Amino acid sequence: MAENILEIRGLNKHFGPTHANKNVDFTVKKGEIHGLIGENGSGKSTLLSQIAGLYRRDSGEMFVDGVPYDPANPIDANRHGISMVMQELGVVGNLPAGVNVFLGRTGQFSRFGIVNMRKMRREAQAQFEKWDLDVPPLNQMTDGMMIESRKMIELARALSVDPQLLLLDEVTQSLSLNNRRKLYELIRKFKDMGRSVIVITHDIEEMVEITDTITVLRDGAVIGSVNSQETSPDEIRMMMVGREISGDYYRADMTPTYGENVVLEVSDLTVPHELEEVSFTVHEGEILGFCGLSDSGIHAVGRAVYGLSKPTRGRVFLKANGVELTSPTTALNNNVGYVPKDRDNEALMIRASIRDNFCLPSLTELKGPVGYLRPGKLKKLAADMVDSLSVKCTGIAQTMDALSGGNKQKVNFGRWLAKDLKLLILDCPTRGVDVGVKAYIYSLMNEAKAKGIATILISDELTEVLGMADRLLVMKDGRVTRTISRGEDFTEQTVIGVMI
Amino acid sequence: MKNRKKIKVSEIVPFAAFVVLFVFFTIVSKGRMVSAYSLKMLLEQSILTIVTACGVLFVVAQGSIDLSVGVNVAMSGVIGMHIAAVTGVGWLMVPCCMLVGLLIGLLNGFLVSKCHVPSFTLSIAMLIGLRGIVNYIQTIIGIEYVPASMQFITGSACRIIAFVVIALIVAFVFEFTRVGRYSQAIGENETTARFVGVPVSRMKILAFALSGLLAGIGAVFSVATVGGTTMTMGAFLEMKVAMAIFFGGVLVTGGSSARFYKVLLGSLSITVIVYGLSLIGMSDSQISESVEGGLLLVILFITILTNRGKKGWTKDEPEPAARLKNPTE
Repeated sequence: MAENILEIRGLNKHFGPTHANKNVDFTVKKGEIHGLIGENGSGKSTLLSQIAGLYRRDSGEMFVDGVPYDPANPIDANRHGISMVMQELGVVGNLPAGVNVFLGRTGQFSRFGIVNMRKMRREAQAQFEKWDLDVPPLNQMTDGMMIESRKMIELARALSVDPQLLLLDEVTQSLSLNNRRKLYELIRKFKDMGRSVIVITHDIEEMVEITDTITVLRDGAVIGSVNSQETSPDEIRMMMVGREISGDYYRADMTPTYGENVVLEVSDLTVPHELEEVSFTVHEGEILGFCGLSDSGIHAVGRAVYGLSKPTRGRVFLKANGVELTSPTTALNNNVGYVPKDRDNEALMIRASIRDNFCLPSLTELKGPVGYLRPGKLKKLAADMVDSLSVKCTGIAQTMDALSGGNKQKVNFGRWLAKDLKLLILDCPTRGVDVGVKAYIYSLMNEAKAKGIATILISDELTEVLGMADRLLVMKDGRVTRTISRGEDFTEQTVIGVMI
Repeated sequence: MKNRKKIKVSEIVPFAAFVVLFVFFTIVSKGRMVSAYSLKMLLEQSILTIVTACGVLFVVAQGSIDLSVGVNVAMSGVIGMHIAAVTGVGWLMVPCCMLVGLLIGLLNGFLVSKCHVPSFTLSIAMLIGLRGIVNYIQTIIGIEYVPASMQFITGSACRIIAFVVIALIVAFVFEFTRVGRYSQAIGENETTARFVGVPVSRMKILAFALSGLLAGIGAVFSVATVGGTTMTMGAFLEMKVAMAIFFGGVLVTGGSSARFYKVLLGSLSITVIVYGLSLIGMSDSQISESVEGGLLLVILFITILTNRGKKGWTKDEPEPAARLKNPTE
């Protein structure tokens, strides 16, 4: 019997040009609760995904219980006693909850090809009860359920294989306090049984509290491992971010600075199932931050302001131009820009050229008499932007899909800066980009602020909003629950307290 | 400034196909292909296809398809000519053809963009339904001839001049205005286009309206060529148009692969095949159709092969489904 349940040596993983895991050495002891922490894009989820059999590694060795291990798929990983609860939702919406628990393994309940649904439901219920979790309605389709119930179903699914090693990828962030407690309890039980858990969470305090060991990842590489008892949140934060950019990463000032003129006035905005009577104003040169849990409605605010969803009540008034924003086209024609969260699917034309992607929002400004778009003008705009943003590419005719995430984001963000904007809506502008580009994007935001552009900053990363915003709106269940000004009570603890 | 322009293999295929076909038939026909008469015939035989394809290009760029253009030509032609005959005002046939074409296009566009009917299914339904109506009308009013006052449009000089003007206008609108750019953007990624602020549903209606309008204009060319309406007017034209567009190297998904010159090349290429086969005495046999089909298959295959690197995902990238799960986080 080996002492380590999992041992990884020299593991590498690439996604196109991105080196997601660099020479990772990683060990989990039996009966150990191991925390994995790092910024977005540091390769945590990639590492777990390889352990759980979702991706194959490019090189390196993995051992489970001292035996070489190379899972072909998640079911194969389950057979080795490893299961995972994923960060993004992994339930099939139009299947009942009970079936979701045994997804891919329904064969054990079938005879002559007919699945015994009642038996499966009973078994599913037994799983929840075994680990002392609340039983959700197992007959109900999962797509009608709240995000939290769906997470619990995923958890039950992971537990149903009776794992020796459980992988939890940002599970707590979508759970309410009472379910969190139950999860902590469950993790402790695992430890007592001599089993192991790997936990990913953004909440550093939580991590220090529940784990035995914490490993920090940065840019795909392991920075180091520390004993949770002997470390402090500050030490971990320093390891995560690294020394070189801690200085002017975010804004240095701690007072709100913005003009008097109101640019945008949103009142009583209501979108069914997304927003409930949301009201706020944004001023000239102000960065207005939005934060909240996954289903709090922060992303819906961006879509609704840009006119992408149909509100049943309330209005979005762009005071600067005296128009009501009712459709994306109205917004585009009135100096409003929107950087959506899902870069590849919502923002960019991934197979088109860099030039076409840069020019798309500016075509109205570029057109001459009788609508003539002079090719030279388009070329110049794209070439100038490539130069000023230093986008790494072979030329403006290159297609987007060849670029790295950070450079794609430069195009996605930068193309709005070619316009004379009044209002810029940013939804997770630094999602999945490396630290260097991140710092650059913050500097662009500061430049936009100095020019008097009003910015709405929506982000899942609390530190980002705290670091950049003049005012901060905390949302919960589609409502704004609190507004905090910079310098007032601008700490993670306060905001998290309101968020939950 | 780094601005090296790399010429992609996929861009050359339509040119190469045209040149190879032309040279092949020149040799096989012992040089008869390059005579002034042959070249004029080639152009005249391509005109109807090109004019109609010009409109369909906007629809295809958006990733949709309009298969109702053939029957649209018949409908516009029959109604336009009948109005001219009934009123006795010859020139009315031109605006009437255009108006009927435009209305059919608008209806298509409305159903596709507002009712979210897939364009393929919708235009096939139109193709079948309208053909029935056209046949019914024609059995009542019979065949009609170009009115005496309009005889000048049957001359080839007039048709070629009109064609050049129309082609230039369409080339300008598609390549150098927002209409073309936005259509390409919708074909590249409709969600993206909507999220940026492109008026997607308006653009869709516009594309189908243009497709209809140009089919209406095609109807004028059609009756001008033959001298009047026929029972088989516009039959299989939609297939010829689709073939020309895809032969020219436009992808079914549209987007930036849709270019005006490709429509010209594709249309000319398939006319070269048809005309070339007739030059070497194979026009009447069924062989000519199977040869057409076979060649189309070959060209499409080459186009897809040369586009694979651009369209698909390479091995070292995660598949789209995995990409959605955002592996770097």
